[in-house]
Amino acid sequence: MEIKPGRYTLEDRNLNFEVINEFQFRNRNECFYLRGGNGFGKTSFLEKIIIPALKTNNIDYLYIGQDIRTQLYTLRALLSILGHKVFNADEFDILKLWIKHSQSAKFFILDEFDKYYSDYGFIFDWSNKFIETYIIVTHLGYNQMEASIANYQSSNVRFEQINFDGRVKNIRIKKE
Amino acid sequence: MTIYDLDSILKKYEDDYLIIDYNHLFISSSIREEIWLLQRDDDSILLEKIRDQAQEFNIPEVDYDKDFDTYSGGQKAILGCILVISMIKNKNIKGIKLLLNNILESLSDDNRSILSNELQKIYDSNDVEFFTYKNGYIEKLFLENGNKTG
Repeated sequence: MEIKPGRYTLEDRNLNFEVINEFQFRNRNECFYLRGGNGFGKTSFLEKIIIPALKTNNIDYLYIGQDIRTQLYTLRALLSILGHKVFNADEFDILKLWIKHSQSAKFFILDEFDKYYSDYGFIFDWSNKFIETYIIVTHLGYNQMEASIANYQSSNVRFEQINFDGRVKNIRIKKE
Repeated sequence: MTIYDLDSILKKYEDDYLIIDYNHLFISSSIREEIWLLQRDDDSILLEKIRDQAQEFNIPEVDYDKDFDTYSGGQKAILGCILVISMIKNKNIKGIKLLLNNILESLSDDNRSILSNELQKIYDSNDVEFFTYKNGYIEKLFLENGNKTG
């Protein structure tokens, strides 16, 4: 899958993205970090450009959004419908069970998940047998990111940081 | 392991905190409504101060009636903090404990630094103490030089 270079306009958020390099997903062992200022459109880019592209390409994905509270309620209900006894399960158990049931997914998108768990290596442990590409929105610095995924990093993964820079109305996305 | 179970944390600590929680930032849908709820009155001067302060955080298009859902997650966290800081200043509230839950982690480095400076000011002027919730514990937040140090 790829996101082609060019200008992407999101009218409802009053955002324009200029993708100056193509996003070429190799679909194996890769981890993209999206960093940038508040309001620069990282989440909008995920939800309006990357996720629609995944849908167009019929690629299954997992997505943990910023409002994990609402999502966990939904996951608890979903798992309950699937027959699991989750009444007393905590968030950690819910996430583990959900990931275990989602092995057709190839992409895993985490939007600021590190604010809930500073060390989220368990996410990789639970999913890296079937997930090929991780896309992670974070405000952590590179050293902190490296530390938080230390276990996963040892297994020949390509890491790439994508910076959102510029102003609200003129966002450029570039690979580093 | 819990993510946002503040009830159990507050029970554990048996103490009173004013909480700014990333997942429960607002009751209403706009700044004007939120101010009305907080002080049961409209306040155009306060609205203007909030708009001015938001610009310091590079939130350029603050409208009093703009729906909170049109802002990004980080911008909402900033607006939630600005509202509380403005109310503390406006009412000259002193000596409270403010618990920031998943707030600083939602901010870019620049905005975290600006917010820390603002918190430092009301720490100095209003004796407001700041705390964060991390890994099941509430920790005091030290803001010397505008930096979180632990």
